[in-house]
Amino acid sequence: MTVPARSRAAEGAGAPAGPPAAPAGGRARPAFLRGRSWLPWLFLAPGLLLATVFKFYPMVEGFRLSLFEVQPFLGNIWVGLDNYATVLTDPRFQSAIGHTVILAVGQTAGGLIVGFALALLLEGQARSLWFLRTAVFLPVVTALAVVGEIWRLLYFPTEGGFLNSLLGAVGVGPMPFLDSPDSALWSVMAVGIWVLGPYNMVIILAGLTGVDRNLYEAAAVDGASIGQRLLHITLPALRPALAIVLTLSAIRGLRIFTEVYVLTGGGPSGSTEVWMTRVFSLGFERNDIGVASAASVLLLIATMLLTLGVQYATRRKAAS
Amino acid sequence: MRGSPRATGTMAMLSTAALLGLTACSGGGGGDDSGPLEVWSRSAPDPAKTYEKVFAAFTEKTGVKVDYKPVMEFDQQLQTRAGSKDLPDVLINDSGSLGNYQSQGLLTPIEPGDIKGNEDIADSDWKGSVGVDGKTYGIPFSRQAFGTFVNKEWREKLGKDVPETWADLEELATAFAKDDPDGNGKDDTYGMVVPGSTENGYLGWWASSYLWQGGGDIVADTGDGTFESAVASPENEKTVEWIRTQFCTKGNVQPGALTATTSNAPFFPEGTAGIYLTGPYVMAEYDKKLGKEKYEVIPTPAGPGGATTLAEGENIYFGAGSGKEADKKQLAEFLISPEGQEIAMTGTSQPVVRLPVNTGLDAAEVRKDDRWKVFQDSYENDAKAFPSAINFTPVRQGLAEGLNAVMADCDSDIPAALDELDTAINDELESQDVLK
Repeated sequence: MTVPARSRAAEGAGAPAGPPAAPAGGRARPAFLRGRSWLPWLFLAPGLLLATVFKFYPMVEGFRLSLFEVQPFLGNIWVGLDNYATVLTDPRFQSAIGHTVILAVGQTAGGLIVGFALALLLEGQARSLWFLRTAVFLPVVTALAVVGEIWRLLYFPTEGGFLNSLLGAVGVGPMPFLDSPDSALWSVMAVGIWVLGPYNMVIILAGLTGVDRNLYEAAAVDGASIGQRLLHITLPALRPALAIVLTLSAIRGLRIFTEVYVLTGGGPSGSTEVWMTRVFSLGFERNDIGVASAASVLLLIATMLLTLGVQYATRRKAAS
Repeated sequence: MRGSPRATGTMAMLSTAALLGLTACSGGGGGDDSGPLEVWSRSAPDPAKTYEKVFAAFTEKTGVKVDYKPVMEFDQQLQTRAGSKDLPDVLINDSGSLGNYQSQGLLTPIEPGDIKGNEDIADSDWKGSVGVDGKTYGIPFSRQAFGTFVNKEWREKLGKDVPETWADLEELATAFAKDDPDGNGKDDTYGMVVPGSTENGYLGWWASSYLWQGGGDIVADTGDGTFESAVASPENEKTVEWIRTQFCTKGNVQPGALTATTSNAPFFPEGTAGIYLTGPYVMAEYDKKLGKEKYEVIPTPAGPGGATTLAEGENIYFGAGSGKEADKKQLAEFLISPEGQEIAMTGTSQPVVRLPVNTGLDAAEVRKDDRWKVFQDSYENDAKAFPSAINFTPVRQGLAEGLNAVMADCDSDIPAALDELDTAINDELESQDVLK
């Protein structure tokens, strides 16, 4: 029964899980910074300027447009919250929310499990592992549109399709994958997990290097099984990494677009339509910029709430 | 290697200044009566070369300079320019965009009688360029009708005749799927290619020809600039059922059709599917990829209501508030003249006029290619366009979504689905203020 006690100790000592400690006061700042308080701002200026022009201004403009019926040439008409009402009462948006949530939850969970498993398998210093990690990481650096096109080929819904020929060898299939409303959403999710898993792996690998090896040895001496070591040493030490992984995956899941757009375009029968594909088709295929902006603002709010929620949950957990 | 503090500070200041300079830059405004005509077309680089040749000939003839911009993301870019109230002088884009642009106030009305050579354009083409307010907003530039492409090698190998009816077409599709027309001993060939995705309304675009051939309609013009949905009809029920039979008979339609766009369904030129209803612009590509002798363009097999196919085309539009009226008129007159049309129809790069709007020209003769006769006959006798006075894009999108849901389920309730679609289309027409 000594293991839990040790793991708690580990939490305090080894992992930076608690609230951020006060910055070390001992480090002296370079002399030129002390006298001129404006200099840091000057260094920040390029970044701030870029962010203002390309992020904050479009964000504010998007919010403003969401309150208008947008007609660039004839002049916009103020409609108040009508656009928001349109979004929230539209049955297509409602089903898109459902699909988005299923995809976000499924991809986040799947990506976490796959990423964690990959990280545990590929942790280490050997050169062969370095090569393997690079190979596994490839989906992340490949353009999503390319990933989508390749998976469309892999998913080809006849005996001749790549995945179906594999399934055929073990006597299963052929499966329709993207071609049926029953399986399309799950097929899109699998592609998402395939991309997200290796991405999470890297973050978790970084977290794993921070785990004190002595704890494993001590636990082994005390007779803890692999499962117990995983549960009581590895996972608690990984909490900060997992918080990042969860937050990033959830945001990524909510704003999923490219995979769906390339794989199915939202079909068949609207079964894979998600929030962003709906926004895209309203904004750019129907030119209904006002409603599309309202939907985007709602997505922003949902993302912010979710991020804050995850942050709050992990902090509280860490504090307890 | 650390730079001195002063050097770093200077660098920071310089980069900030550079950024400020960059963002302060903005496009100069047009809208004046001097300078070259700014002309936009929705074109890829290859057809853009043809446009360049046309405009070069125009400048040589008239001395009016043209600042030509091929724009791929046409509507998005146009919205940006509309926002700054500085539209291009002349736009060349889909005839179906007329209602959409007119409702946004982007176009200047045109008096056809003032355009030299207007009598060379068929009345039906002029009628298709009228907005809901009764004024003409576009000058026809290029037209086309759909045709049925068939893999001739396969058809002859299986000893089948050229299909003339839906029943023949269905039989041929099944034979292409089942009888191994490529003779490789594998079950890897399909009947029809259908871009059945809802993206950009592809399925609605493809299915419209069949709905008309079945005797049904999509949106009916009720006169006085009003319209109403016509999708819920017994004729359409039969047609949709026929289309669904193709989707639900293995191999009659290519696999993955429900999520396929034209770009990810290259089955016809690759020689894995043998029937494709599409426009004449694919011929240049198919001649190279599949081979000119391996396929044929046939008059479209007739359904219970005839052999109507979808007609489309490009119009010349004048951007609102741009000035340069005389120059714009001169350019339009050149573009519809036999000379302008011929340059746009020929040449080594992709032609930008498919079927000439100038009735003095014959596509097959100008191109010395008899296959164009099929398209021209079809366009003149049996083609129908989407109503261009309204913004049809959302209607086509709705049609694609409704039909896609029907095709995805082989037991779907077709009358109920059409009723639902009917309501959706009428709602859309109402939101455009054009519902009867």
